[in-house]
Amino acid sequence: MHRRLALALFLPLVLALATQAAEAQTPKRGGVLRIAEREAPGLDPHLTISFLSHSYVSLTYSQLVRFPNGPEQKHPADFSILPDLAEKWTVSKDGKVYTFALRKGVRFHNKPPVNGREVTAEDVKYSLERFAAKSGFNTRFEPVGAIEAVDRHTVRITLKEPYAPFLNHLANPSFCVILPREAEEKFKDFNHPDAVIGTGPFVMKSYEKGVKVVFERNPDYFMKGLPYLDGVVIEITPDAAARVAVLRAGKADLPHIWGWVSPEEGKALQKTNPEMVVTPHQVIGQGFIYMRTDQPPFNDVRVRRAVSLAIDRKAWNEALLFGEGCVDSGPVPCALKEWKLDAAKIDPARAKYLTGYDPAEAKKLLAEAGQAKGFTTPIFHWPGYVVPWRSYYELAAENLGKIGITAELKPEEYGKYISTTALGKYEKMAMGPSTPFTEVDDFLYGRFYPELPTNQSRVADAELSKMLLAQRREMDPKKRKQIVDDIQRYLADKAYYVYVPQWPQYVAHPPAVKGFLHHDGYGLGMRLVYTWLDR
Amino acid sequence: MRQYILRRLALAVPTLFLVSVIVFGLMRLMPGDVATRMVEGHGYAKTLDALRRDLGLDRPVHVQYVEWIGNIVLHGDFGRSYWTRQPILEEFVRRFPVTLELALLTILVSVVIGVVVGILSAVRQDSVSDYVGRILAILALSIPYFGLAVVVVVVPSIYFKWTPVWTYVAFTADPLQNLKIMLVPALVFGVTRAGPIMRIMRSALLDVLRQEYIRTAWSKGLSERTIVLRHALKNAMIPVISLIGLQMPLYIGGSVIIESIFRLPGVGLFFFEALGKLDYPVVQSVNLIIAAMVVGLNLAIDLSYAFLDPRIRYR
Repeated sequence: MHRRLALALFLPLVLALATQAAEAQTPKRGGVLRIAEREAPGLDPHLTISFLSHSYVSLTYSQLVRFPNGPEQKHPADFSILPDLAEKWTVSKDGKVYTFALRKGVRFHNKPPVNGREVTAEDVKYSLERFAAKSGFNTRFEPVGAIEAVDRHTVRITLKEPYAPFLNHLANPSFCVILPREAEEKFKDFNHPDAVIGTGPFVMKSYEKGVKVVFERNPDYFMKGLPYLDGVVIEITPDAAARVAVLRAGKADLPHIWGWVSPEEGKALQKTNPEMVVTPHQVIGQGFIYMRTDQPPFNDVRVRRAVSLAIDRKAWNEALLFGEGCVDSGPVPCALKEWKLDAAKIDPARAKYLTGYDPAEAKKLLAEAGQAKGFTTPIFHWPGYVVPWRSYYELAAENLGKIGITAELKPEEYGKYISTTALGKYEKMAMGPSTPFTEVDDFLYGRFYPELPTNQSRVADAELSKMLLAQRREMDPKKRKQIVDDIQRYLADKAYYVYVPQWPQYVAHPPAVKGFLHHDGYGLGMRLVYTWLDR
Repeated sequence: MRQYILRRLALAVPTLFLVSVIVFGLMRLMPGDVATRMVEGHGYAKTLDALRRDLGLDRPVHVQYVEWIGNIVLHGDFGRSYWTRQPILEEFVRRFPVTLELALLTILVSVVIGVVVGILSAVRQDSVSDYVGRILAILALSIPYFGLAVVVVVVPSIYFKWTPVWTYVAFTADPLQNLKIMLVPALVFGVTRAGPIMRIMRSALLDVLRQEYIRTAWSKGLSERTIVLRHALKNAMIPVISLIGLQMPLYIGGSVIIESIFRLPGVGLFFFEALGKLDYPVVQSVNLIIAAMVVGLNLAIDLSYAFLDPRIRYR
């Protein structure tokens, strides 16, 4: 009797809750998402390498292929390749010829001088060739031989050699967006807001310099029924404190182009605004000490190992990152899960030079290397990087001091740092973060192959170079993963770079923002395709 | 008077020439290179060379200078930004009213506060109101305006879920909304700038009040109000006006942080961001325009002395 009564009382409640939950899951159409962010330094995706520029215009452009977003992604670093403007593609057996079949009937935004014309293979050829000629990222296209428009809807790309990272680069929103040639002819480049004409989910409606950029839903977007949002407004907010303040005050839905706030801000937000959705993500990121391994004293592996063993990563993590950081952050970053070989899976005798802390052994190693009395080294750096960095430089100097290496902090102005030190033009030692790339090749080949400007430690290791080339030429993902694992095992005790802990980013937005999932693949447009507002 | 103005204008030419050379030279002496800065080390030599050629950086420095200054003098063309490739003058003209309005409102706030408190302080020397006024002035002087601005923006957002930051609307589009947006930044900036004005006002007025013509005015039996406001204040204002004139570049420079925190699309931010991006043409041209304005403003201030004190003559 009681049971029936209970059932009679509870059933409607359960049903009601279930319907509510179902309703909550059904995306609503409409609404304008407001983002507080700094001004992008330009809009032409090939004339700047700023993630801000690329994120702004990612709302308006498409690529041949893309990364998964929203419900499609398994995790934020899911870099599987999905069709975008290319409906399907084939790769020849030797891995050198890619043939893309374009979606038919996809039209550019209806803005002059393009006026809603259909996208053709010629546009793809023009855009990719422009990328190869102009973009600061164009080293990614070095293996590309020829790009041909076979017919109106077929593009063939022939490579000089098999190149496993190729599709990932094509899918990266920072690189290969498809642009209409007429806009460049009329406006000289794609910096003018009227020249921003793509095939993406949103149309750039207006751009009031220093104030706001207004986007509206592309009514003809080829993914039917998407995006849900009527529009997006980026309100230019240069100051970081003001960005969080407008989020708290309900005047913005995202306090950053990707919704990022620092761990400190994230924790403060959870306290002051418990209704706010605040999610930590271990994002692709990396920081390291880099050394002139082509010169004494750092050409001696014992000295480099000593430097690595001097760094108390766990203590840094506790003191600065609320214990939430990842201490095993290199050579492949923690968040690049599909490629990462955890230090725990490497022989501990070697792995300790990646993550271990042992000042006593460090001193011993220095003595063996003939540096028993220690030595003095500068640490060149740019002090302006985000919050923990300034403490990182100081902690590194302090930790090194404990094993007898006197480190002198040498702050540099950004222009100088980025155009000299960060390109390997420095003396002895420097320190800083890495660009968060999406392709493992950039963290391996880019950092360790001889003569590259991104090889900041000036590594020249013949055995390693062979493996670096092998992994980028191996088209079978499983075999490639094995080589990448071998590289990680090989690098464990070389200490060419000394990696420091990586912190999570907090993504913050009000509860009314639904379906906004973090993805590590740059861009913003595809994230917003699946975002909707519950208000 | 006319001759004086003409002479001053003629003198402005070498001044501006020097400014242009110094700014041009300093920009090139800054460490780092704009092409590398634009690609942050991702590009390789081939791309960088093409970029430099594109930006005209491959030509000798003196050619670059002559071209820049020549285009300004002959065609009124202030060049284009390296980054956005958009005309600089266009952007300056769009942004300048914001900074000017902020500067004028700031001056208004700081003058009203500074002059009123300064007068009260001087007239009631060594009284309670004098001490309170002086303490307030020191307090205003010692609070950095950027700190105050952050507090004003952040604290109410935490406790009241409200913040005095709005999306900028031009005065011409909606005067009321525009004033609402400008009020808080002008108050923040103005209050912290009122301190020096108050102190100068007080000491200048004290000085004037001790002069003989004021004693004569007292002996004629005029009211205190008339003596202070009609006889003393005008003369005491001269150093105050000079101070405002001297502070003018500060209003432009200081506006960077105020503009950034209150998201006002002004010149300060345009200039500051260009500096960080090594956007040579923007920094050079904006600097030159502002230098020309400061020269003009100083002339205007010098001329205003004659209005305040007819004994001042220009030769």
